[in-house]
Formats: sequence, structure tokens, C-alpha cells
Amino acid sequence: MSRDEVIGGTLAFFFGAAAAYFSLKMPIGTFRAAGSGLFPLGLGILLMGLSLVLLIKVYVQAKATREKTTPSEVPRSAKQVILFVSAITVATLLFKPLGYPLVSFLLLFALLRILGMRRWVYSLSLSLLTATGVYFLFVLWLQIPLPKGWIGL
Amino acid sequence: MFESFQHLITGFGIALTIHNLFYCLMGAIIGTLVGVLPGLGPIAGIALLIPATYNLNATSAIIMLAGIYYGAMYGGSTTSILLNVPGETASVITCIDGYQMAQRGRAGPALATCAIGSFIAGSIAILGLVFLAPPLAEAALAFGPPEYFSLMVFGFIVLCNVTGSSLIKSLMMAVIGLIIGTIGLDPVTGVARFTFNSMSLLSGIEFVAVAIGLFGIGEVLANVEKPLEFLEGTVLVPRLRELYPTLQDFKKSIGPILRGTGIGFGVGLVPGPAPVIATYSSYMVERKISRNPGEFGKGAIEGVAGPESANNSACQSAFIPLFVLGIPFAPPTAILLGALLIHGVSPGPLMIGQHPALFWGVIASMYIGNFILLILNLPFVPLFANILRIPKKVLLPLVILFCITGMYTVNNSVFDIWMMLLFGGIGFLIRKLDYEGAPLLLALVLGPKLEVAFRQSLMISHGDFRIFLDRSISMGFLLATLLFLLIPVFRIILKSAGKGGGPTGSIGGNKG
Repeated sequence: MSRDEVIGGTLAFFFGAAAAYFSLKMPIGTFRAAGSGLFPLGLGILLMGLSLVLLIKVYVQAKATREKTTPSEVPRSAKQVILFVSAITVATLLFKPLGYPLVSFLLLFALLRILGMRRWVYSLSLSLLTATGVYFLFVLWLQIPLPKGWIGL
Repeated sequence: MFESFQHLITGFGIALTIHNLFYCLMGAIIGTLVGVLPGLGPIAGIALLIPATYNLNATSAIIMLAGIYYGAMYGGSTTSILLNVPGETASVITCIDGYQMAQRGRAGPALATCAIGSFIAGSIAILGLVFLAPPLAEAALAFGPPEYFSLMVFGFIVLCNVTGSSLIKSLMMAVIGLIIGTIGLDPVTGVARFTFNSMSLLSGIEFVAVAIGLFGIGEVLANVEKPLEFLEGTVLVPRLRELYPTLQDFKKSIGPILRGTGIGFGVGLVPGPAPVIATYSSYMVERKISRNPGEFGKGAIEGVAGPESANNSACQSAFIPLFVLGIPFAPPTAILLGALLIHGVSPGPLMIGQHPALFWGVIASMYIGNFILLILNLPFVPLFANILRIPKKVLLPLVILFCITGMYTVNNSVFDIWMMLLFGGIGFLIRKLDYEGAPLLLALVLGPKLEVAFRQSLMISHGDFRIFLDRSISMGFLLATLLFLLIPVFRIILKSAGKGGGPTGSIGGNKG
């Protein structure tokens, strides 16, 4: 828990620092006639301050109570998340070149497999059926212009 | 008052056209579905459907999107009672007694009480909206930039105080949202900020991408992380003839329903995640005044009737600050503000006069929507409960496909899909690190308004910060803000005094 707090606080601190740094490259102006950098600069400094308060609080509490490690109640599967995100990333890359109908079918098929649908017939037919249904809904009924890709549908 | 009544009748004329009735029905059905499906809350639901409203006129679009919002509140209770899984955060309290009732074979009466309570609460709250909004809009005309600035600061602090486990962490999320909100062209001088020479960033970060990313993709990823066996659950599906509550149930519920309506209406008017606070407060009140407080937690119908009514009532009254001030106090209404802006309507004190058809049409549609939801939710509960039987491993890929499709259609841009995925990753990360997405989203939507109000105030006062204190309404909001900031400090002092000086675990309010 405490490790998570340190990671969160540090990330937020650097985000605030980056915001403040890039704001300084914009016109700051005065309070009477604020430049475009003043507001984000103030926010960056505020975020750095809040992150520091959080980090100090975590430090003080960790010292006072000694780290209590609570085992996570649900086992986590990082591999599944990585595979899942990779499939979505590849689908987004291929969104325009391959076209919506094909990408939606391939994405559904890949995600079903990743989430543990073992039988090929089930996952193939389910993704084909769903992709066709979604195609009818968005492209034919709602007339939304989605990329046709090289299959031209 | 009589004038409001006349306008309302005109509103019914607008809402009852076949076209608008259809969109009201669609909103109610989609909302119920969104509420029933765990992991897809009203925020992601509304955001996903915004692109589908582009071809509609503003009135029909808002009628449908508002329907999704209050429909999700009805649907959320179904999963709480049948599965002990809240469909959205406002239904957490309903789980306590609702699920216990279901365990005792009384799922039907619990679901029916929810639907009836929500209908009564929604109907009364709409009357409040009709008669309170116009005079409040007139009063809000006295608001200048300093008042708006202080009100928004107040809103942020209250929201941060009641969401998440820690005030500091919620405030950090709000500031991150404000920083992200500054990306794009400066609203005052037109200078490009944080765009890094990207044309796509000039118009700022698409808030729909942030909403779908944080609340849709982030939630899906959090589910994917769980092992496969956690993705399935057993569902109790009640039979139709078991649905109807007895006269005894009704007698027990009517008091909590009316009290819940009052509490919810009041809470909806102030900043914060209104439905969550309303359900919590109503539950506490009912338990406190009950003759059998021991029954609570073991299936007391009052513990279902009160919070569910408060939830719906708060949901309706939350439209008052949105329509009257143009300032949403919670993420779902923030998304609706975005939708209104997309359709060229700028909510604020002048909206009722400038867009009477939209204002009164949407209010009348809410009444009709409540009626539709009552009809939908009573006999069709078994049907919606069956939807819960769709395995998550099928549902999650489908949600992802809908997110990608919905996101692309906003601007026909793959860049937006990348943005959504980026915020999906952030949403996943903040869940893991125990942060809340709600303050970030609200800050992103309100950020530009807050900055303009701040800079205009200082221009008026020639750079003198006392302008925020010299004007009485503004000072009132700032004093209230200070009070809210001090509450956690007092709580710590009281707690450590009670414990003899030991440090406390977290500052902040109840879990949102």
C-alpha cells in the first residue's frame, strides 16, 4: 500500500514539475493581465506541493506504524492485461488499413481467446456473429462512416 | 409559478412527439442496460452514445442522454439486489439490505420497491426542478466571474472531500484534470499550450476520450486483471409472480421513500457525487429513526426504499446547477454539459429563456422517462437479470469494441482512439494506486471555465485578489470551501484525541 502511495505521489510530482517547466516557456504576464502560462504554472506548482504533502504523510505514517504488508486478496494476472492491451493496440494500428469490419472481427476473436474461450469453433463463430451484428448496427443502420479498408465493405 | 406550469405543459407537448418519445424510450432502455451491466456506468454509457446523437436536434439528443443517466440509476439497483455487485457507485448502499432480501427469497419485492420508490422520488423531484429552476436562474444572473470562480472552487473541494479514500489524492486528481484541461488554445489569448506542435492537440484533449478511457477501458482492464474464474458469477432471477410487494411492504416503504426524496433533492443541489451521498445519508437517517434498527443489514425493506428514492431524486435535482448555472457538480452531469456544448447550447442563467423548448422539453421527458422506467423495470426485471448471465469474457471484448467504435465516430479520428487508450491505461493505473477518476474528469470539463473566470476577475480588479472576498456571494462560497477543507483536519484531531494521539489512516470522507 505504502509503495503504491510513493509511486503515485512521485509520478504526480513529476507531472506537476513538467507542467510548470513547460508553462515557464509561455508568456506569464502579470496578475492584472495574465499570460497563457500563468494558470498552468500555478497548477503545476500546486500539484507538486500536494504530491509532496502526500509523500511526507506516507513517510511519517510508515515510520509511526511500521509497514504492514497485507496480501492481495485476489491473485492478479498481469500477463492477461498485457496480451489484452497489445491486441487492442494492434487493432488500432490496423483500424484504417484493414477496415472496420475485418478489424472488429479479428479484435473480438483475439480478445475472446485471451479471456479464455478455449473452443476455436465457439470463439470464431461468436466473433463473426458479433462483428456482423455490430456492422449492421453502426454502418448499415446508423450510417456511421467507418473505415472500409482494403476489403471495401 | 403559474407560468412555470404553463411552460411545463408546452414541454409535455414537445416531449410527447413520437420522435422524442422514441429517444426517451431508447435512453431509458440503454440506461437500464448500462446500469445493469457492472463495469459500464452512466459516465461511459453517456460518453459512448454522444456520437450517436450528432444527427439529432439538441432537444432529442439531451432527452436520450439524460434518459441514460437516470435509467442507469434504476438499472444499478438490479445488480445490487440480485448479485451483491453494485452496477454503479450509487447502488453500493442498496447491496446491504437488497441482497439480504434476495437471499431470503424476497428479491421481487426489493426490486419492485426500488422501482416504485424511484418513480415517486423522480416525479416529486421533477416538480421541484420545475418550480425552483426559473427563480434560481434569475438569482444566478447576479453572478459575475468572481462568483463563478469561487463556486467552482467550492464544487471541487466538496467533490474531493467525499470521493475516494483521501482528500489530498482527490485534490491531486482534480489539479491533474485542470492541467490536462489547459492543453490546446488558451481561451483568452489564443496561444497554443502543451500542444508540442501537434495539430490534433490544438483543440484540446477530447473529453469523451478521457471519459471513455478512464471509466470504460480502465474498468475493463481492471476486470481483465482478475483470474478467469472471477469473471463468472451466479445470478438469481426472480419469477414475475414473486415481484409484487405486499401491502405491509408498501406501508413500511412509503415513509422512507418520501424522506429519501427530500434528502436526495437537497443533496443534488450541492456539489459532489450527489447520488452516492444521498443514498448514504438516507440509509443513515432510516436506520437512526427506525424502531427496529437491528433489522438493517439483514434485509430491511426501508434500507432499500429510502436510498433508492434518494438516489433518483438527487439525480433529477442535479440538473438544476447544470441548467441554471451551467456548472455541473458531478461527472455524469459534466458529460451532459459536454453534450450540450457539442449541440451548440451553452447552459447558464439565460438558457431557460434562450432555449425554452429544450429546457422544458427535457424536464417533461424526465417525467415520461420515469414512467417508462417504472413499466420497464417491473415486468421486465427477469429479462434484465438474464442479461447478467452473459459471461464477462464475452461482455468485456464487446465493451472494448463499442468503446473503439464510439470514440472513432466523435471526430472520425484514430488519434482520438489512441488518446482513449492512453487514458484507459491511466484509468487502470489510478484504480491500482487507489485514486479516483471523478475529480479529474470534472476538472477537465470545468477547467477552461474556471481559468476564464479567474483571469476575468483579476482583469476587473486590476490584479487585486481581494475581489474574491469583497463580493459577498463569492466570499460565502470561499468560506464554505474553507469549512470543507477544515472538516478532515477536525476529524483527525478528534480521532487522535480519542485514541490518545495516534496517527490516523486517511483523511477524507466516506468511501465514494
